[in-house]
Amino acid sequence: MIYKIIAKQAIEDLFKGLQENYDEVAGPRACGPAFVFDKLQHACELRLDYESTILPPTKYFLAPTERLMRFNRVTGESYDSEPVQTSRAIIGMHPCDINAVLLLDEIFLGDFIDPHYAAARKSTFIIGTSCMPTVGHICNAFGTDEIHRGFDLFLTDLDDRYLLSCRSVPALELVDKYLAASDPTAKDIDDFQERTKRFKDAFTFTPNMDQLPLLYGAKYNDEQLWKDVGDDCLCCGACAAVCPVCYCFDVCDKLDASGQTGLRYRSWDSCLKSEFAEVAHNHNFRPTRASRVRYRFYHKFVGNFSRQGKMLCVGCGRCMRACKVNITPARIIGALQQSQIDKEDATGDGIEKADDAE
Amino acid sequence: MSALTAKAYRELGANPYRPWPARITSITELTPKETLFELRLIDKNVRDAFEFTAGQFVELSIFGVGEAPISISSAPSKQGFIELCIRKTGSVTNAIHRMRCGDVVGLRGPFGRGFPFEKMMGHDVVLVAGGLGIAPLKSLINHIHDERHAFGKVTILLGARNPSEILFRQEFDMWRHRQDFDLIMTVDQPDSVWDGEVGLVTRLFTDLEIDPGNTYGAICGPPVMYPFVVEEMRKKDLNVDRIYVSIERRMKCGIGMCGHCAVGHQYTCIEGPVFSYWEALNLEEAL
Ligand SMILES: Cc1cc2nc3c(=O)[nH]c(=O)nc-3n(C[C@H](O)[C@H](O)[C@H](O)COP(=O)(O)OP(=O)(O)OC[C@H]3O[C@@H](n4cnc5c(N)ncnc54)[C@H](O)[C@@H]3O)c2cc1C
Ligand code: SF4
Ligand code: SF4
Ligand code: FES
Repeated sequence: MIYKIIAKQAIEDLFKGLQENYDEVAGPRACGPAFVFDKLQHACELRLDYESTILPPTKYFLAPTERLMRFNRVTGESYDSEPVQTSRAIIGMHPCDINAVLLLDEIFLGDFIDPHYAAARKSTFIIGTSCMPTVGHICNAFGTDEIHRGFDLFLTDLDDRYLLSCRSVPALELVDKYLAASDPTAKDIDDFQERTKRFKDAFTFTPNMDQLPLLYGAKYNDEQLWKDVGDDCLCCGACAAVCPVCYCFDVCDKLDASGQTGLRYRSWDSCLKSEFAEVAHNHNFRPTRASRVRYRFYHKFVGNFSRQGKMLCVGCGRCMRACKVNITPARIIGALQQSQIDKEDATGDGIEKADDAE
Repeated sequence: MSALTAKAYRELGANPYRPWPARITSITELTPKETLFELRLIDKNVRDAFEFTAGQFVELSIFGVGEAPISISSAPSKQGFIELCIRKTGSVTNAIHRMRCGDVVGLRGPFGRGFPFEKMMGHDVVLVAGGLGIAPLKSLINHIHDERHAFGKVTILLGARNPSEILFRQEFDMWRHRQDFDLIMTVDQPDSVWDGEVGLVTRLFTDLEIDPGNTYGAICGPPVMYPFVVEEMRKKDLNVDRIYVSIERRMKCGIGMCGHCAVGHQYTCIEGPVFSYWEALNLEEAL
């Protein structure tokens, strides 16, 4: 990693450099009262002060719908769908969202390689940016408030200037060619450390992650607990759509008008939809809303943790804002921890603790 | 090309969503609902590289309709052809029933983890199938038949609702006749000429002798059947880690990406569909 300092106004030069080197520059811009990641034409549209966006930038790697292949129905021959990939620079990804991309890498660039995801990854230049936590951001619980890889360039906001962390050769070339950058001074480093401390102190709430996977397993069959937290779910799938690490998809075929050729495509799906786990003879492995909510978070906190060693939540808070009935990771974790406390109270363990406290 | 594994795809940079064309070479109607399709991969290189173990499955494509996961019914030793036993249940499975010999479908795979054939070798085996569960077990049975000398006592217990729903009846009758296997069939509703057993498949365990230290079990059928059959096996002191079951889940990709086939903390398309019963007991929602 190589560190540099640039003035705030130099963002315009950086933007120009990106436009000259990439087919598209995407970043956060205002959209009504909210923010969205979108194609940007001018540096003035870029809003690096955004808190969060409706959809995460992971949509650039895993599009809402994507062609998997084309086929000829009669001969059975298939073709890789024509590459629509443009080179893209994404500017302004927060650490949680970059961490989300690293988690998706393990799914889509694992034993099998998803060629569409791989192509998007390869042609994308990622510029991260520092943030300040607000209500609902619980990335600190998952360690996703920090990022050390997965980006080309990272901008840390030091009030009147940015500290640049350059992690790739293209990033260094860009900085060399377009930016008036200087080496960090002792003051810059002090300010960076002060900023990091301010960031860490700004988290007002951290869920209690103590023994979470074990606890989840132990409470999996606690019907009442899951009814309490999951029965209100509307099965709208909004939480999955806005989640940067929800990747489940459905696959469908579509024939062209000729009836001879067609294409197979995938589209985002959600495990909260009732038919998600249904098999032949209408047998549904997760027939109730509560069972689907229980499964969604099980996959996030236990399933992927067992398979890949990491939890599938980066604490970005998007699902909290998307859900109409307040089903959130923090609430689930809280309910699991509370039921454990209730149990300890009931068995007497809790009473002893209360005595100690006196 | 080496065998069609994840590694081979990776090395070739191939698109794992693209099926290989295969031609339907023979169609045998087994019952009004189930048909045995014999398929031949058109590309010779792919055909030669297509190796699998009993219990693995393919993603069958009917172009323009979609894909469905189907167990391979033929033995791994059968060269050049793949058999699929398919029940009409929905769009893809109905569509293939409308096709004829010579028509082209697509295949991806083989996917998943099959039965531990090598581990089973040298031992007695008890195989229990209910209904369509015979589809994946048939591959294992054929494979065992090919290597009959490498196994001890082989017991097959088959359950069906009524005699007309017994799949592969002729083949089983022949094997029973030749005493290749100890084969017992049972139906819930006998007809006037039925000479086999009547009742649930669990009843067949009463007179069965199992040497628990030297036996492997495999069960395939509707999920409701598993706990009852396992209970009978455990009464004979067979350990749950020596009993294997095949688990069905909805599947879309077969390669661990679409999330549909999750069972507990695993993916049926990668870590399954065959699990030891001990593994299944430790997977939430598996049983
Ligand atoms: C590992 C595995 C092995 C299988 N082996 C065989 C076999 O050897 N022979 C056989 O006849 N069937 C087998 N099946 C079941 C078969 O995959 C489904 O019946 C088939 O996918 C239904 O597809 P369809 O398009 O015909 O039905 P659809 O029109 O898609 O739907 C009809 C019904 O099937 C359910 N369904 C849809 N997709 C799936 C799916 N991917 N898996 C399970 N259910 C689904 C739907 O919820 C619906 O209730 C197997 C399934 C799995 C997971
Ligand atoms: S589960 Fe919610 S908080 Fe966690 S990553 Fe997904 S959207 Fe963000
Ligand atoms: S948890 Fe909330 S956002 Fe998610 S499907 Fe249920 S109601 Fe919709
Ligand atoms: S079938 Fe898609 S993950 Fe298993």
